[in-house]
Amino acid sequence: MPADVFAPENPADPLQPELIKGLARVVAVTGNLAWLEPEQTTSCGGCAASGLCGAKGIGTAASRLEFRRFPMVNEMQLVVGERIVVGVDGRALLKASGTAYAIPLVIMLGAGALAQWIAGSDGITMITMVAGLAIGLLAARWGAHRLGARGQLAPRFLRRAGFGETCPID
Amino acid sequence: MQEYILLMVGAALVNNVILARFLGLCSFMGVTTRVDTAIGMGLATTFVITVSSMANWGVEHYLLVPYGLGYLRTVTFILVIAGAVQFTEMTVRKVSPPLFQMLGIYLPLITTNCAVLGVALLLVEGKMTFIAATLFAFASSLGYSLVMVIFAGLRERLALAEVPRLFAGPPIGFIVASLLALAFLGFSGISTT
Repeated sequence: MPADVFAPENPADPLQPELIKGLARVVAVTGNLAWLEPEQTTSCGGCAASGLCGAKGIGTAASRLEFRRFPMVNEMQLVVGERIVVGVDGRALLKASGTAYAIPLVIMLGAGALAQWIAGSDGITMITMVAGLAIGLLAARWGAHRLGARGQLAPRFLRRAGFGETCPID
Repeated sequence: MQEYILLMVGAALVNNVILARFLGLCSFMGVTTRVDTAIGMGLATTFVITVSSMANWGVEHYLLVPYGLGYLRTVTFILVIAGAVQFTEMTVRKVSPPLFQMLGIYLPLITTNCAVLGVALLLVEGKMTFIAATLFAFASSLGYSLVMVIFAGLRERLALAEVPRLFAGPPIGFIVASLLALAFLGFSGISTT
């Protein structure tokens, strides 16, 4: 069984942490695993209208969404094409966002400020910031590894999506 | 140093991207129903605005201006922003696939967020040095994130309040947003010149 296989959670559990919900579609079933592809949302949260307003735009080609596929234990007997609601822990999401975006950004800006203070040249500052970004990404990798080892990055099955249900960002 | 601090305060509070320049309103209304998602969106947007503004500064000063291609600015900036978003996505995927899967579930597209393009165009207007442009972009996006989080907190409270049916949902959201804009107007008393 792959390392990042996520068991479904009991939605009736009152102790379950506050979850941020998203829609995913079952794209394949292999053995007891269902492979899910998250549905692309838009920055305005208007998923239902995204096909009409063009907000779906760049970077949402089917091939790109393939990269986002993730496995889940298929205890609910999901079939290909079915849409489900998955959830991620709100606190874990904050940690993940901080790890992915804040760490590289802070290191990059810190390196840039230092370079500007020492050298005072735009060219040197630019090069130093790019180097800082690379170091920051390595630090983010280390942080993500720690989060992953604690199992905090696992999306959970919540329920089957209703007919016509869109964009449950709440 | 004082010049940079004033530049950042001005960009984040006095000329706030959302409440003073009215950019990024779609995500302001769409992704602020919860504080968690607002912070996540704010962090992602901060990263993208900062990185794309750095890239746009380079493109403007080493390509568009020397070759007299200023008329292609908007199209070029959109391409650079799209590239920055894809770069971010690819990098997160390479850095940590589980992290990418998790963020991929909720993270909305930022490519179409007009605040990203707006900040890049403001940098050109301001004729700034590289470090000033980067700090301006970073502070602008911090201001964007701050307002997103404040508004999300207010909406979480509103969800528990008894709002008249006619005003429930977006109408009361817009009223609160206007009050928030008035509150931010108070920062215009700070001189950043």
